[in-house]
Amino acid sequence: MRMLPVLTRLAWRYLWRNHRRTIIMLSAIGVGVWAMIFMTALSRGMVDQVIEDGVAVLPGHVQVHDPLFLDDPSVANRILIGDAVLSKKFGPADFKAWASRVKVPAVIASEYESRGVTLLGIDPVAERPFGYLDYDDVDGRFLADVDDDGIVIGRKLAEKLETAVGKRVVIMSQDPNNEIADRGFRVIGLFTAEVPAFEEGNVFVGKKAAQKMLRIGDTTTEIVFLGDNYRNVEPTYEKVVASVDKTLAVSRWSEVATYLGSMLKVMDGFVVIWMVVIFLALSFGLVNTLVMAVFERVREIGLMLALGMKPSSILGQIIIESMLLLSVGLLIGDVLAWATIQPLRDGIDISIVAEGMEMMGAASVLYPRLYASDMILANVIVLFLGFLASLSPAWRASRYEPVEAITKVG
Amino acid sequence: MNIVVRLAWRNLWRHQRRTWLTIGAIVFSNTLLVFMISMQFSMYGLMIDNTLKVFTGHMQVQARGYKDDQKMRQTVPEIVPLADRLRADFPAERIAARGWAFALASSEERSYGVGIYGVEPKFEPQVSSIPGLIKEGRYLAQSDAVEIVIGAVLARNLRVKVGDELTLLGSGRDGSFAAAVATVVGVFESGVVDVDRNIAQMPLRAFQDTFFMEGAGHEVVITAPTLDAAQVVLPEIAAALPPDSGLVVHDWDALQPGLKQAIKADMSSAFFMYAILVILVAFSVLNTQLMSVLERTHEFGIIMSLGLKPGQLGRLVMLETAFLGLVGLILGAIGGAIVTAYFSVNGLSIPGMEEMAANFNLPPRVYLQVTPLSMIIGPAVVFLFTLLAAAYPALRLHRLHPVEAMRAN
Amino acid sequence: MTAVRCVDLCKTYRQGDEDIKALDHVSIEIEQGGFVCLSAPSGGGKTTLLNAIGGLDMPDSGEVWIGNQRIDQMSKGELAELRLSSIGFVFQAYNLIPVLTARENIEFVMQVQGVPATERAEKSKAILAEVGLDGLENRRPAEMSGGQQQRVAVARAIVSRPALVLADEPTANLDSKTSDELMELFTELNEHHNTTFVIATHDQRVMGYAKRLIRMLDGRIVDDIQQNAA
Repeated sequence: MRMLPVLTRLAWRYLWRNHRRTIIMLSAIGVGVWAMIFMTALSRGMVDQVIEDGVAVLPGHVQVHDPLFLDDPSVANRILIGDAVLSKKFGPADFKAWASRVKVPAVIASEYESRGVTLLGIDPVAERPFGYLDYDDVDGRFLADVDDDGIVIGRKLAEKLETAVGKRVVIMSQDPNNEIADRGFRVIGLFTAEVPAFEEGNVFVGKKAAQKMLRIGDTTTEIVFLGDNYRNVEPTYEKVVASVDKTLAVSRWSEVATYLGSMLKVMDGFVVIWMVVIFLALSFGLVNTLVMAVFERVREIGLMLALGMKPSSILGQIIIESMLLLSVGLLIGDVLAWATIQPLRDGIDISIVAEGMEMMGAASVLYPRLYASDMILANVIVLFLGFLASLSPAWRASRYEPVEAITKVG
Repeated sequence: MNIVVRLAWRNLWRHQRRTWLTIGAIVFSNTLLVFMISMQFSMYGLMIDNTLKVFTGHMQVQARGYKDDQKMRQTVPEIVPLADRLRADFPAERIAARGWAFALASSEERSYGVGIYGVEPKFEPQVSSIPGLIKEGRYLAQSDAVEIVIGAVLARNLRVKVGDELTLLGSGRDGSFAAAVATVVGVFESGVVDVDRNIAQMPLRAFQDTFFMEGAGHEVVITAPTLDAAQVVLPEIAAALPPDSGLVVHDWDALQPGLKQAIKADMSSAFFMYAILVILVAFSVLNTQLMSVLERTHEFGIIMSLGLKPGQLGRLVMLETAFLGLVGLILGAIGGAIVTAYFSVNGLSIPGMEEMAANFNLPPRVYLQVTPLSMIIGPAVVFLFTLLAAAYPALRLHRLHPVEAMRAN
Repeated sequence: MTAVRCVDLCKTYRQGDEDIKALDHVSIEIEQGGFVCLSAPSGGGKTTLLNAIGGLDMPDSGEVWIGNQRIDQMSKGELAELRLSSIGFVFQAYNLIPVLTARENIEFVMQVQGVPATERAEKSKAILAEVGLDGLENRRPAEMSGGQQQRVAVARAIVSRPALVLADEPTANLDSKTSDELMELFTELNEHHNTTFVIATHDQRVMGYAKRLIRMLDGRIVDDIQQNAA
């Protein structure tokens, strides 16, 4: 440790002795680190958006269903505990937000067309915090309360059904006894959503109206809870597990939408692989630089050994030199990444591939996301693997015999 | 062998370790490029093939506007005679007519909404993979029987088995109430949950009767022997349609616009990755060659005083770089080919990726294809940039002054 | 008191197909405060002997003693420690670390020894004055003449007052005037501090300064004479 200042000074000076080589290497590291972070920020932006949109259209970070419901989403597999009991069980302050809702597949028919949709009977007041729909951005109006007997459908669906605000549509589904349950609703509002599939696939009615139509009293098919954010649902999850009946199934959003859950995991894996691959591409140059740096000062290393410096200090000196090189490169890469991502925060228009992105579930504007954790990961990977890569040249440098090194011709 | 060539080759090996490290960087990138490009080509091909063969086919004849609105009224009139005529005119293509409607399917216990395709039992198997995926019962047989095949998930949810009856409720072409009772004769399983949950097929004639189609349908699906052949035959089919009928032919790109764009989006991110790899290799080569030129300043001074021109020395350096790149190219292409060949035999499956893959109609295990193009394109670009990177050190030689150079140590 | 004692040293190198006897049963003893020149033609074994005394190179057989420590069986770490604390080196050329300034080169050994910064600064300042390099302390080796570089090397060798200084052809790259100056510096240090000097050289001028002259040929001592300093 005592040697650290001497070794650091030597390493730093040696780094700049061959400034051309150092500058080339710094450019390479800078570009590599920039690419690590920039690409990660873009991918994160895309995947986050997919997941956030996905989480937004399946509102509720933690969801409670009858165990059979997710595979067989029929009203027959509803939660048999009624709203009267639920509202006593969960106080308003227990969770950031919670709501029970009726969610069943249904057929919607206008005078011209029929389409399959998901019918959502909701309490618009309790669901507002879930934020999946902007109630105010609705042509006409949104549902007022649980008793509202109007229906709100997506704009795109309205187009396909050739219907409009004020017109009537028929909703058909089944009651618990598999009798056809149907009734007419007047369209009171048309909503717009980021994700077209959500706009076409979901229709909203008052919860009581849905319960009455499906003849299920005050029961619902799912209870949903909001956590702090979608990346951190564990506390909420555990709280819900502890408080609901054991016969019910409690799921995190990532278990309801396994596609999104696996996407998040794949993304995390991709980030690490990408960073390691870039590092490996850099590592050859790094090792090469160190080998050359050692080679051209063999005699000086011999001198230092002859003067009484220990081999371990030579080893340390080369490793410090490598770490300094990497650190400066990282600094350049980090600043470069920050400087290029910052102006893109307002989004990159990728509408030319919009429908392809939609296939993945993403929207047509890409917002890069620069996470401190990704940046730290990139830096740690480079320094750690860089350290490993420097060991071999540093070790060889420390193994020179002083006499041979000094008398080396060249 | 030419003396300059021999000199270049020998010079290359003066610093073996450095040369091998530089070659290592080239080989690493080349191997990765070959593998990744092969994977891309293979996956794109599979994505297109698998997506199109489920339902879409290479092209479809539809009423104008149907593609976007999918309304019952946007029909192809007299669709079976039209399909018959096209089959007669285009014997190489596989052609089948379809109708589509949405209905509520009810069993004893459950009711679910499903998309119902009316298909020609005789021709549908030629354009779609679904008839081949029957896992219980059989596929549709006669064109006019009121029978139905459904997906496995739907069968499970509806709690029906082969032989049970389903009640279908929906709207007919004119918006009137349409109903039928159809016997389940088969259950298919594609493995794609959305398909297995939401789709049912019944014979076209029975479909037309149920939904008051009066001989009309919604799409004529056409599959050519290859995707390339489809592009050629498309205008001919367009020309063969009755004039002023309001019918159009859409190619697969129009029918599945997401597909090409997903590929494009993937390609652009892949392109970014490749570019970074190539740039990093170029830096590696630049570093090595610049060092190798700088440390030979003295030597070059001597050679120049013997009468060699800087341009000739530059060529020597470029030749050395070319050797360096060539060794990297050959080893990298071989390395990449070995990796790719391994996965072409054993298949490539990425744990955790299955679900994402399924979203793009990819099987959980992808067998890579080894093609000459995917073998050589990456290494060739790397080689080009290797030469480019050596240009600076080579050009620097023009600034060299023999006397000063000889004084350098 | 004996500063250096070598007993029956042998060392053989292989060069091409030939075995070269660099040291052939060499035994010498050097008193503390001695000023010894080893002189031999190229390949005569003087550098090998010097390196053996400095613990830089191991003899094939025989014993090397520095003071009362036997060093030919020490580990690398112990040897490094010994060189650091009690031996100063001056080599023919490439003596200095090129990325450090004159003062930093001088302080280098002290820094490795762990001498505190203020003490280092004092000592290096004093020694720079002693070797006549006032005002050049912030120059790097490349910015100094050969003579100046060797002075820095000498300053570095003696700054921590080692009992023994080993110099291998210290004047080889110097002109005659600078050589004389360097040798006078050595003589002065020898007299003032009683530092033992062992200098390998084939420069007649250098031999003239020696109190004792040992001539070697083909790895053997052929002549060992006391002489009065010029």
